[in-house]
Amino acid sequence: MGHSMKRKEDARFVHGKGKYTDDVQLPGMLYMDIVRSPYAYAKIKSIDASEALAIPGVLAVVTGKDLEQYNLHWMPTLMSDTQMVLPTDTVMYQAQEVAAIIATEKYIARDAREKVRVDYEVMKAVVDPYKALDEDAPVLRTDKEGKTDNHIWHWEVGQKEETEKIFNEAEVVVKEQMHIPRIHVASIETCGCVADYNKVENHLTMYMTTQAPHAIRTVIALVAGHVGITEEKVRVISPDIGGGFGGKVPVYPGYVIAIAASFLIGKPVKWIEDRSENLQADSFARDYHITAEMAGTKDGKILATRMKVLADHGYTDAAANPSKFPTGMFSIGTGSYDYPNAFMEADAVYTNKPPGGVAYRCSFRVTEAVHAIERITDRFALEIEKDPAQLRFDNFIKKDQFPYPSPTGWEYDSGDYEAGLKLAMKAVEYDKLREEQAEKRKKGELMGIGLSTFTEIVGAGPSKDFDILGIKMFDSAEIRVHPTGKAIARFGTKSQGQGHETTYAQIIAEELGIPAMDIQVEEGDTDTAPYGLGTYASRSTPTAGAAAAVAARKLRDKARKIAAYLLEVSEDDLEWEPGKFFVKGAPEKSKTIQEIVFASYTNHPQGMEAGFEATHYYDPPNLTFPSGAYICVVDIDKETFEIKVRRFVAIDDAGHIINPMVAQGQVHGGLTQGLAPAMYEELIYDDDGNILNGTFMDYLVPTAVESPNWETGHTVTPSPHHPIGAKGIGESPTVGAPPAIANAIVDALKPYGVTHMDIPITPYKIFKKLKDMGVLDKDIAEG
Amino acid sequence: MEATITKNFTLEEPIDKVWASLSNPMEISSCVPGATITEKIDDNNYKGEVTLKFGPVKAKYDGVITIDEMDDASHKMTLKGKGLDSKGKGNAEMTMNGLAKEEEGNTNVDFQMVVNIQGTLAQFGSRLINDVSAKLMDQFVDNFNALLKGDEFNNDLKAGSMVGTAVKGIFKKKEA
Repeated sequence: MGHSMKRKEDARFVHGKGKYTDDVQLPGMLYMDIVRSPYAYAKIKSIDASEALAIPGVLAVVTGKDLEQYNLHWMPTLMSDTQMVLPTDTVMYQAQEVAAIIATEKYIARDAREKVRVDYEVMKAVVDPYKALDEDAPVLRTDKEGKTDNHIWHWEVGQKEETEKIFNEAEVVVKEQMHIPRIHVASIETCGCVADYNKVENHLTMYMTTQAPHAIRTVIALVAGHVGITEEKVRVISPDIGGGFGGKVPVYPGYVIAIAASFLIGKPVKWIEDRSENLQADSFARDYHITAEMAGTKDGKILATRMKVLADHGYTDAAANPSKFPTGMFSIGTGSYDYPNAFMEADAVYTNKPPGGVAYRCSFRVTEAVHAIERITDRFALEIEKDPAQLRFDNFIKKDQFPYPSPTGWEYDSGDYEAGLKLAMKAVEYDKLREEQAEKRKKGELMGIGLSTFTEIVGAGPSKDFDILGIKMFDSAEIRVHPTGKAIARFGTKSQGQGHETTYAQIIAEELGIPAMDIQVEEGDTDTAPYGLGTYASRSTPTAGAAAAVAARKLRDKARKIAAYLLEVSEDDLEWEPGKFFVKGAPEKSKTIQEIVFASYTNHPQGMEAGFEATHYYDPPNLTFPSGAYICVVDIDKETFEIKVRRFVAIDDAGHIINPMVAQGQVHGGLTQGLAPAMYEELIYDDDGNILNGTFMDYLVPTAVESPNWETGHTVTPSPHHPIGAKGIGESPTVGAPPAIANAIVDALKPYGVTHMDIPITPYKIFKKLKDMGVLDKDIAEG
Repeated sequence: MEATITKNFTLEEPIDKVWASLSNPMEISSCVPGATITEKIDDNNYKGEVTLKFGPVKAKYDGVITIDEMDDASHKMTLKGKGLDSKGKGNAEMTMNGLAKEEEGNTNVDFQMVVNIQGTLAQFGSRLINDVSAKLMDQFVDNFNALLKGDEFNNDLKAGSMVGTAVKGIFKKKEA
């Protein structure tokens, strides 16, 4: 552990030998394409497929009415709501699936899409989530009996009355209205599957782009059990995945239709989305409207915070949220600061937009919460004219206060926030930057410095709070060491580029002394891997990584017994160093782990179970709380308002790091995905619910060209409850970067009197904001 | 997606001649780029088709044009059009108000057109619709002028160059 071992999986990727779902080719395979709704809200008057069916090669056109015969036209969501697989009468968002074409060739299926005549009666769409709550707003979910409005749920946590009292009496209160925009994970590989139902064996093999193969297998059995597809008859295989980021957690209608089509026709059916379908119809992330408030003293002590959220869930609540809290971990939004009172409430609404709410590189609403607390903290600093770094130092939870009970009910495991911020300030030369900024302001130049000192919450999760459809959020590892001392290890998680094949092997190597190169890691096949809940929300290292360590320790205990037997000494007389047991005081008398393993198959002690295998299911006692201190420096052109990120320093604390190179790679990717919503990405809808940027021509994903030079580093505060003290790194940078960038831009615009801007912040938005404020032509030079 | 396009132009022709062509659905439609009247239902209702192209997206709308108002005395007209994309990708609605006025022997025509497009074309064309529509309107005026003069013209959609022109227009504005 702690070594930058090269990634074992990269050999096949750099040789172009990765095997993805679209690479699966089966004899007799058919192709599916999907007719989608051009309207956001419309009644389907009729569907005429006769012209499509007349095209040679088109075998079937499946509609909601067809699926209704098998009760497969709807499915449950992870939030116990319902979602159409195919509509029987009404479409609820633009690009919704309306009918599926099954054909012998991919392009025949695509051509046939245009020949399916759907007669719609267009209705006025509900797009604005605030208007969705108006009394005269049309009720969208008429399928739900007795539903009289578009409200989904209300949730609250914290000390309501105490917080209100503090706000009423506080010297300083600041408040901002924020929108965390609706964005998309936009992974390079879109979603897809090959459903292969074998009628003779009554067996379904499902190759699919999923981050959670076992959970999918159980869901398939729950949804299709009544037509005979029970869980032992289902095998889900998740091959290589080209990016998941949460977008490959949900069950999309396309998967279910492909299964239904294969079941009815008895042949394999392949469905692969194109880019626009992926962007327009698959689960979105974020879309929280937040009113954030902070109360404090004039000299900069934070006393309380209050947050009110309106969550736009689209047509159904299909959030990929396996916690018992409807807003997931939003309640981490009290941040890294020590104050006893906070109150948060949230309401969710239905609108005519695609469903979703995936945890895009984020443990369920942490990004939204962190943005709100880090932005409002800077707003507070601006109000009392205090340096935002000093304000943070004055309010940080101190190192010796851990485990720290947060006002919203979490127990932060460990942290050293001061150390992180000090290191970041040193790296960026903070004081010098502030001097430079003062000089530039005299000349009227726009330069900003933004901070984000966030606390993350990952590793879902402890079984008391976390489950998917009742299945607890543990994860698993199974290690089998072969007689020759080489091993295979299988896990319930599923890498989508995180490097599990390397890092899991390193954990086992550390605990068991077998070289990481000798350990084959396998995931993604439900027939072979132990049951697990998959990879997302930075949970793999906290759960499956812990399971690997514990399983390896079980084997080490067994190895000690065998070594004692082989060396004819008592177990207590043995000492372990990675790779071998030796007799205390006589290091020449030793047995290597390879010799011990061989003996377990060839010469094991009488009464001991033969072989060298162990399995562990790890239910974490608590979540882990990584943290970070990020500092961003921007320069903004005064004429064009072009924003240049000059520097970005990211100091992360993820506890013990298994492979620094893999961790750094995660940080670089994550920071770029944090830059994305800060300056570029947002799914935009017009008043009729038309998506205005449903292609990569308009939906701006930052590339290497837009990315600044990320400067990374770390502090190490181990998690006290994790077997190897690791915390998880995958999502920290995506969570922590947007507020640092937004804070830097708002800081740059301080001379104009700007106190807040919603992300993504673009040159045009700055221009418009200054114009609306009437300060566009203001002379801001102080000198 | 809604767009309002206005156009005011003066023709060096007497108002009676202009109005005679303007108020004749067959003649006026022959000047609209990409449009064809395919069938006369009655004096006020016509079936027709319009082809539009915005960059990569081409849409053919089949629809009905209704004459809501055609006042020969005040030279005022209101046309309403409703069309459905022939490939099921969306629909379009259009209301056009026209007013012709005599101006020192010439004729001044004022057009206001409100277009509402839903579906795929709205996704792709939202930023181009104003520029492309303005270009279409210019082409219409040229065609109408030629019609009055008895010159030859055709109302083929000059789509290939339209987006290019619109894009150039955008950059031109930035330079200014």
